[in-house]
Amino acid sequence: MPAPQTPAENELAELLVESLNLEDLRPEDIDPEGPLFGAGLGLDSIDALELALAISKRYGLQLRSDDDANRRIFASLRALAGHVQLHRAA
Amino acid sequence: MTQRKQVHSPRRHLPLFSSPDPLRPIAFRMGRSISLAEVREDVGRFAASLPASRGFLVNLCEDRYLFLVAYCAAIARGWTNLLPPTRAQHVVDQVAGTHVGSFQCRDAAVVGALSGEPSDLAIPTEVGGDHVAMIGFTSGSTGVPQAFPKQCWSLAGATARSSAAIRARLSGRFGDARPWIVATVPPQHMYGLEMSILLPALGDMAVHCDRPMFPQDVAGALADVPEPRVLVTTPVHLRVLSESGIRFPDTALIMSATAPLDAGEAASAERAFHSTLLEIFGSTETCALAQRRTAIDEPWHLRQGAKLEPGEDGTVVEAPWLPGPVNLQDVIELVSEGQFRLRGRNSDLVEVAGKRASLGDLTRRLSSVPGVIDAAVIQLDPVSSGVRRIAALAVAPGLTAPQVLARLRNLIDPVFLPRPLILVASIPRNELGKLPRQSVIDALARVQREDDRH
Repeated sequence: MPAPQTPAENELAELLVESLNLEDLRPEDIDPEGPLFGAGLGLDSIDALELALAISKRYGLQLRSDDDANRRIFASLRALAGHVQLHRAA
Repeated sequence: MTQRKQVHSPRRHLPLFSSPDPLRPIAFRMGRSISLAEVREDVGRFAASLPASRGFLVNLCEDRYLFLVAYCAAIARGWTNLLPPTRAQHVVDQVAGTHVGSFQCRDAAVVGALSGEPSDLAIPTEVGGDHVAMIGFTSGSTGVPQAFPKQCWSLAGATARSSAAIRARLSGRFGDARPWIVATVPPQHMYGLEMSILLPALGDMAVHCDRPMFPQDVAGALADVPEPRVLVTTPVHLRVLSESGIRFPDTALIMSATAPLDAGEAASAERAFHSTLLEIFGSTETCALAQRRTAIDEPWHLRQGAKLEPGEDGTVVEAPWLPGPVNLQDVIELVSEGQFRLRGRNSDLVEVAGKRASLGDLTRRLSSVPGVIDAAVIQLDPVSSGVRRIAALAVAPGLTAPQVLARLRNLIDPVFLPRPLILVASIPRNELGKLPRQSVIDALARVQREDDRH
């Protein structure tokens, strides 16, 4: 069983499934601590772009990848949700 | 079809860097611009770290500046750069394994060499025109990856034409001002190499060393450099950039290649960047060959001196920068002197039950079905009856496969109706937006396996 998601994580999981058309995946099945890319959900750099676009439209937050923080931010649903909550437009 | 044999003799020697002004900016990295003199010093440092015996440098550098330094250092030492189509380790090993005396070079190797004292090694100002500067490899969308060696004179000739084509579009507004390039594509791909490495090294343009990914990164990189700015990117990236709603710095020119772009997408990108978008037509075999302003549905403009001879199942290209005629699988139609339109790709030409169609055309038709947002069409390997069926993947949220087929039935001959047509969440493109045939087959197999289990 994956760890339980917080409401913010669940909301982001829904956005992720919807924006990347991951129809076979239920948002609640995404392990908040599991990797999103590579071996985890198997997302690639094009998915990262799509996801960033969806996040900017929903939360008014533009992601950047100009430092190593990016790897940390995209490491898991939990890390990404934390980043979004911290920096989302008021 | 007759083929005239046309062989150009490589010039004896060519400059390692074409624009000799030591103070001219060539790159922007870590907040500052770097002059040609500094680059030559760094090339010397890294070249000194390479063994004197000639070999192959598998140039895997991600930082564009480190790539440029390693690339030029290899040539200065009489080495050849190998540019594998992907960074996937088994592919890199395969490429390295078939070239005796190869050295896999990543960012850290160059960074290490650059931290040392300037070297005494004399970096030549000229290199042999016939030296093989690099070997590019096709990305495999038409079959097995294949090696394409390029000599210095050939790359110099192709770059001169690219430079002229870019400057022709900029001169009205910017005169002779030096164009600054920002690229979202890796330098290991022929398009990325030509636009982001060769234009600075063999032309007199300058390049931002980042490879910005997200829209905000692209905006930031563009803001780092002066006008006129040239954004080198792909259709996949352009769509995300156009939709992001971000205000981008004015960008004089956008270049797009690696996958077809339609006029609407090109127009959106032009609006988002207050720009002109040039789509580039080229291949690893030929380098960039033609360009067009896609937003106004221009025909392709061939680069100076290039000639195309259209055939039924392909096109013969001759160009002053190519050692001989090259057969392309693209079917073209000449519109006028130096202008043409693409009519599909020959590896795309399929025959089913005696009827012929192009996969490109079938893909366009499937994509045009209302509700279908993306599609890929391939021809399957023959089954026991010898028939090679058409199969397709489509992204069509809210529709079922029979609904899509019902709509498609009105648009194409029934023999070309995909069997199977499988609806998927997304089309398995690689990071350049290309679609290797094998990944479509894999995706089909995966979905069918899942269906079997149900």
